[in-house]
Amino acid sequence: MKIVSFALNGKKVSCEVQDRELLLHALRERFSIKSVKEGCGIGECGTCTVLIDNEPHYSCLTLASKVDGHDVKTVEYLGDAGLLHPLQKAFIEAGAVQCGYCTPGMLLSAYSLLMKNENPSDSEIREAISGNLCRCTGYIQIVEAIRDAAGLCKCKP
Amino acid sequence: MYIGNEMNRIDALDKVLGRPVYAEDLSAKGALFGCIFRSTRPHAFIRRIDTRAAMASPGIVKVLSCHDIPGENLFGIIKKDQPYLAQDRVRCIGEPVLIVLGETEEAARKALQLIEVEYEDAEVVSDPFLSEDSTALIHDKGNLLSRRKVIKGDIEKGFKEADVIVEHTYSTSWLDHAFMETESGVGYPDSKGRIVVISSTQNIHYKQKEISRLLAVPEEKIKVVQATTGGGFGGKLDVTVEGFIALSVHHTRRPVVMRFTREESFLSNTKRHPLYIEYKTGARKDGIITAVKVGITGDTGPFASYGETVCLRAALHATGPYEVPNVHVDSRMFYTNNPVSGAMRGFGIPQLAFAHESQMDEVALMLKMDPFDIRMMNALKKGSLTATSQVLQNSVGIIETLRKVEPYWRKRSKKEDRAGFGLGCMYYGIGNTGVSNPANACLNITGDGKIALHTGACEIGQGSDTTLVQILQETLGLKIEDIVLVRGDTDTSKDAGSSSASRQTYISGGAVFDAALKMRQYLDEKGFYKGRPIREIYASEADKKLLEHNGFFDPPTTPVDPETSKGSPYATYAFATHMTEVEVEPETGCCTVKRVYAAHDVGRAINLKNVRGQIYGGIAMGVGFALMEEFVPGKSESFDNYYMPTSMDMPDVEVFVVEDREPTGPFGAKGVGEPALIPQAASIVNAIKDATGVRPFELPCHIERLKMLLEKAKG
Repeated sequence: MKIVSFALNGKKVSCEVQDRELLLHALRERFSIKSVKEGCGIGECGTCTVLIDNEPHYSCLTLASKVDGHDVKTVEYLGDAGLLHPLQKAFIEAGAVQCGYCTPGMLLSAYSLLMKNENPSDSEIREAISGNLCRCTGYIQIVEAIRDAAGLCKCKP
Repeated sequence: MYIGNEMNRIDALDKVLGRPVYAEDLSAKGALFGCIFRSTRPHAFIRRIDTRAAMASPGIVKVLSCHDIPGENLFGIIKKDQPYLAQDRVRCIGEPVLIVLGETEEAARKALQLIEVEYEDAEVVSDPFLSEDSTALIHDKGNLLSRRKVIKGDIEKGFKEADVIVEHTYSTSWLDHAFMETESGVGYPDSKGRIVVISSTQNIHYKQKEISRLLAVPEEKIKVVQATTGGGFGGKLDVTVEGFIALSVHHTRRPVVMRFTREESFLSNTKRHPLYIEYKTGARKDGIITAVKVGITGDTGPFASYGETVCLRAALHATGPYEVPNVHVDSRMFYTNNPVSGAMRGFGIPQLAFAHESQMDEVALMLKMDPFDIRMMNALKKGSLTATSQVLQNSVGIIETLRKVEPYWRKRSKKEDRAGFGLGCMYYGIGNTGVSNPANACLNITGDGKIALHTGACEIGQGSDTTLVQILQETLGLKIEDIVLVRGDTDTSKDAGSSSASRQTYISGGAVFDAALKMRQYLDEKGFYKGRPIREIYASEADKKLLEHNGFFDPPTTPVDPETSKGSPYATYAFATHMTEVEVEPETGCCTVKRVYAAHDVGRAINLKNVRGQIYGGIAMGVGFALMEEFVPGKSESFDNYYMPTSMDMPDVEVFVVEDREPTGPFGAKGVGEPALIPQAASIVNAIKDATGVRPFELPCHIERLKMLLEKAKG
């Protein structure tokens, strides 16, 4: 067991984790953050994506102990029902959501992209979400949403 | 006012906030975790099972076998031939043998490793062509599950009239649904002594019935609730975790959680049926098709699942959206010891579209005709007779979909040699085949002045919740704030049938429309449309039963007569044309899909944004089917060796919606879920031929296969 302290969605947290505990499981079980999903457990599908220091990471391949001292963001960071992030708004408006299982991870990959690149091209957008599989949408409305949000977005840390 | 627009999905807000509760997000205090011990043999008799070490393992509560089943061990949507837990023998790799229940997931999975089973291997049937005559019987009555013929006119005469004949064989492979959320669910005993199962599913009422048979208890003793569901595509129609969970709750009287790993999902979930299609087409010099003869051989694995449906649907749709006077289709579905195949978006028709669309292009080539013109010339229209001699009277939009892409087809030009263009057309019967498949819906006025819609229709990501609410809004003229949706619970809804066969907009939509008409009349009589508030109507109604209005719709169909092949198996059909541009790199065999023009006759688009979403998603799945997706038994385990399209593989898409209204549909609507996928692979294959001169006859035409074809063509 090891104590880890990190910023989770802007708040300082600390908890005891097992040596081999995955960040995915720590977030879901210790912090009840259920928006982080386990789609494959081997770092292929991206439904477990979280931002670590604003870079997308597969939390199913990340040991919880490794985020000690770092900044971790999940989709809960982006906004809430009263104050949606422009990306969330654009996802709703563009029809970028179907079953919704990939959506949190998709939003985080998009957020990370817009933080680095305020005006990405379609191919840059496609590349940025290429680690997030979606079986429902064919990605097109997701790309549209990210493009629509790009101008309106302040994705600064 | 409320339909035909771009209304946002009613579940989108929750989903962008990461708030929906999928089955795996449910936790119950003191819940056990259940996992499945599965067969490692394709066909073997079980001689001995030793669970002692597993039972002694820390945290293990129970191990259940087929002997612990109080009711029927066999389930299945049509033919009940699939055991929940193997009895005496296993008939495929991955077949469930035991349920292990532990205090934690870790404990349960560890104990799996300690179970010993002694098998005596039996003869394995791994090829549907050898299945019929094999002495190894997978079921007592033989290895042929189903055989359906469609015969129209005089096939010999039809080929005599033909000036050209084209004959080829096509084959397709197993595909996985690869929904992003694996099969999962939770169960518990409730205070009324019932067993409640909450799961990721496409059909709550069917699962309630199966669990009641499994446990030999009345249906009222079982409640099934749909959790938010992370995709289905047909793979959550069969009983997945629900039976195991219910049986475990029955024996432990404790809450039980189950969730398949991705590897388990790949191993155990049903697959798209691999079909072998022998296709012979005859045509006159002027391009008119005179005869089509098709032999279809399918592999359903050891259990029926939706094998009979696929066998029949493939046969009925074998000629494609064309009027063919002389037809002979012989479709057979065999049991094997291969993976279980079941329902997957399109029920065999994407496979057939690959064949009939390839044939159309080959006929056009022999006749030196434009592939567009030959389709236009033979396309179904009002008054046409289908292969089952059903007269199409309404909503036959295939020609209109062709016209939508025509300008792009006519002005296509190859910027590079490696570019190619292809067409794919399809038609698809909406709803189940030639059987009653009704939906119910119920509306009632609530004390706080709202209209509650109760439906058993399962929202699996396709958008049925939003569509049904829009139909209700349009009929009653009500704002969204005045409506409450109560969905996916066998306690609060009557059967709406499965979310499958592209049927919910048309059939559940029809039921909602029916209920809404009755509600509108009631509200009108009570003065609502003259300004009297609903709340007041509620308060003034002494008999609260009058506040409830039930809706029902069952599409008018007649079964196909096995002798005469005549019938009207579907009340309505959807039609589509896709035109696809590809680029093929000759050095590597890498095919990139650049652009798709997709025109769909949906009858009426209730929600344009959702219709586009379905079409884009269908195209993605079609790209996978054509170019990369192949489940190889024993090899494909997860997303690292089962390739499906990413954002980088998606073409640009232009969608055209044709609205040839269906008189029996709500506001003229039909369906689009499966049609979106069906013509896509076919149009890619035709584009590959246009780009390279080489025609793939086997799907997927992945990079190695295409490179091989290109090399062979060089001689």
